[in-house]
Amino acid sequence: MSLLEVTDLKTYFKTQEGTLKAVDGIGFILEKGQAMGLAGESGCGKTTAALSIMKLLPANGYIAGGKINFMGQDMSRVTGDKLRAIRWRDISIIFQGAMNALNPVKRVGDQIMEPILLHENVDEAVAKKRVQELFSLVGINPNRIREYPHEFSGGMRQRVMIAMALACRPKLVIADEPTTALDVMIQAQILQLMKNLQTELDLAMIIISHDLSVLAETCDLLSIMYAGKIVERSSAVEVFANPQHPYTKGLIAAFPNIKGERRMPASIAGNPPNLINPPPGCRFSDRCYMVQDVCKKQEPPLIEVLPGHYAACHFVQPKR
Amino acid sequence: MSLRAAEEVIQMAKDIIVVNNLQVWFPMRRGFVESLTAKEQRWVKAVDGVSFNIKEREIFCLVGESGCGKTTTGKAILRLVEPTGGTVKYAGAGLTPKLIKESAETAVKKKQMKKADAEKDARSGVVEVRYLHKSKMKALRQKMQMIFQDPYESLNPKQSVYDIVAEPLVVNNLGANEAERENRVKKALDDAGLRPPKDFMWRYPHEVSGGQRQRVGIAGALVLDPAFLVADEPVSMLDVSIRSEILKLMLDLREKKGLTYLFITHDLGVAYVFSDRIGIMYLGKIVELGPTEEVIKGPRHPYTKALISVVPKPDPRMKTEKIILKGERPDPAHIPPGCRFHPRCPFAMEICKKKEPAPVFVSQEHWVSCWLESAEAKQ
Repeated sequence: MSLLEVTDLKTYFKTQEGTLKAVDGIGFILEKGQAMGLAGESGCGKTTAALSIMKLLPANGYIAGGKINFMGQDMSRVTGDKLRAIRWRDISIIFQGAMNALNPVKRVGDQIMEPILLHENVDEAVAKKRVQELFSLVGINPNRIREYPHEFSGGMRQRVMIAMALACRPKLVIADEPTTALDVMIQAQILQLMKNLQTELDLAMIIISHDLSVLAETCDLLSIMYAGKIVERSSAVEVFANPQHPYTKGLIAAFPNIKGERRMPASIAGNPPNLINPPPGCRFSDRCYMVQDVCKKQEPPLIEVLPGHYAACHFVQPKR
Repeated sequence: MSLRAAEEVIQMAKDIIVVNNLQVWFPMRRGFVESLTAKEQRWVKAVDGVSFNIKEREIFCLVGESGCGKTTTGKAILRLVEPTGGTVKYAGAGLTPKLIKESAETAVKKKQMKKADAEKDARSGVVEVRYLHKSKMKALRQKMQMIFQDPYESLNPKQSVYDIVAEPLVVNNLGANEAERENRVKKALDDAGLRPPKDFMWRYPHEVSGGQRQRVGIAGALVLDPAFLVADEPVSMLDVSIRSEILKLMLDLREKKGLTYLFITHDLGVAYVFSDRIGIMYLGKIVELGPTEEVIKGPRHPYTKALISVVPKPDPRMKTEKIILKGERPDPAHIPPGCRFHPRCPFAMEICKKKEPAPVFVSQEHWVSCWLESAEAKQ
C-alpha cells in the first residue's frame, strides 16, 4: 500500500460570487521516502491541495469529492480526535513564510515541545531533550531553544520551522514554498538540509513551489498544476527531459538558465482562467500556442504517455 | 581646454550616472549609559564606498543578498535616502542651464567642491545630485524615477489606475488641464503595455493581475518621461511565467525612449539575461564588477563564484558542484576588518583579515576586489 494516494480530489470554496473550484479532480500516489514537487502559478490550487490533505482548509472551503488515502485511512472523512491524532504526528507542514508562522511571544523551544507533549506520553525533560536533538539535526545550536523567534534570522527561523515539522517524527512532511522568502545562499542551505533529512529519516515530502528550479533540485516526482488540475506528472527527470504538456514546456522555457546561452526566456502570455466559471474544454486553451477547436470544447483526459508519465492534452499520444 | 579635459568631457557625456565612493551610514541609537561613557557614535554602514558609472541606454545591475545595501544605493542616487558621503553625478536628459548652474553654486557654497571643479562640471552639463537643494531635487526627479518591488503593496488600493498614474503629474504640477493630463496618462499606460488604456484607467489595483499591476507601476514612472530608472526587484514578486514579459517591456522602452536602468535584483538568472554590466555587492561594497557575460561565465571573486554555484538549475540532470557558504551575512553594524568577506571565504589568508583589498582590473572593464587576484597580479 502506498503511503498517500489521492484520487480525484475536489476542493471548493464558497464565495459571494459562487463556488470557486480551487482543486478540481487531482490524483497522485506518493510512496514512503519519496519527495514530490507540486508546481504551478499562484492561484493554481497547489496550496489548497496540500491543506486538503491535512484538512486545514479555511471555514468556507470544503472537500467536495474524491479520496485522500493516507496509510489506509480516508483523510477526507476523518474528523475530531482521530484527525487531531494524525495531524503533526503523521503529517506535518512547513508553512509558507517562516517569519509569520512562529508565535513571537513564545520561546521557540516551547513551541516545538507543544506537539511532542500533546501527542506523546512523555514528560517535559524528555521533550526538551528531543527539541535539542532536533535543533542539532537542522543545524542550530541546541542552546538556543530558550530564545524567541525575533532573535533568529530568516534562514534560522526556517530551520526552526523544519525542526517543528519533524518534532513527532512524521511520515509525511508538506513544505509550502519553503524557500521563497529567502536569499539564494540561505535557500541553498535549506534545500540541502531538506534533501539530507529526507534521505536520513526516510521521509515522504510534498514540496510546493512556483519555482521549478527549486523542485528540480529536491524532488523525485513532479506534478504540474494548472487552474485546479494536474496537467502533467512523472518523475522529475522525465518531466524536464521529456515535457509533454504545452504548459510544462512553457514553464520550463520561462526560466533563465545561467549555465546556458544568454537569451531572454519565453513567457506564457495571458492569465489563468477564473475558477468560479472555468471555461469548458482544456483550461489552458486560452494561453496555448497549439490550441485547436477541440481544446475549447472537450476536456482532455490525463493519459499515460509513457509508463508512469501522465499528461492531459489532446495532442499527446501514448508512446509504446 | 586641454585635450585631457576634452576627453573627460566626452567620457562624462557617455556616462549618465557616475557614483563615486557613495556612503550611506545610519547612526545607531545610543542608550543613556552609552551616551555617558562617551563612546564613539556607532554606525550601520548600509552602503560603504560604492563607485560605478552607468552609460546612456545601459542596463547596469546590482546583485547581492538582502541587506547588502543594493536598494539603499538605488535610493541614495535618487536621494530618497540621504547619502552621508561620496558623490552622485547625473548628466542625462532634462537638465536646464539654470539647474546646472544652481547645482554648481550650492556645491561650492556648502564647501563641498572646489570652485574650479564645480565650474568644470557645470561646463560639461553635469549636475551634482548630492548637494542639490531639496526643492530643486523635485525637478530633477522627474527625470530619475523608481520602479518598486512589490506591485501588491506599492499601489494604493483606494486609487484607480488613472489616479495612481496621474499622481506624479499632479505633484509636479504638470499638464495644463485635465484633458492634457488624461492624454499623458493614456500614453504612459499604452507605453507600459496596458492596451487599450481606457480599459484599464478606471479599474482599481485589485481588479488587475499581478503582471498588470507592475505595468501600472511602470506607467507611473513613465508618465513623467524620465531618462533614468531605478528598478528595484521589479519581477521578483511575479510568477515566473510572466516575468520575462515585464523584462521585455523594459527592454522595449529602452529602445523606444532611450532609457537607462539601474536594475537591482538578488536573482542572478534574471540579471544574466537582462543586464549589460553587473556589480556584485557584499555588505555595502561592490566586490566585483564587469560585463554581465564575463562575470557570470568567468567569475573571479570567491563570493561571486559561490553565488553563481547555488543558483538552482531548472533541470534535475544538471548536477553541479555547489559552494555553500557557512553562516549568514554579517551585520552591517559590525563590519569585519580587512576584507569584509573573509569570515565566510573558503580561501581566506592572513592578509585578508587585516587589509582591505583594492580593486584589480582583470580585463578592460572587469575588476575585482580580492587579495587572491592581487597576488596573481603581482607575480
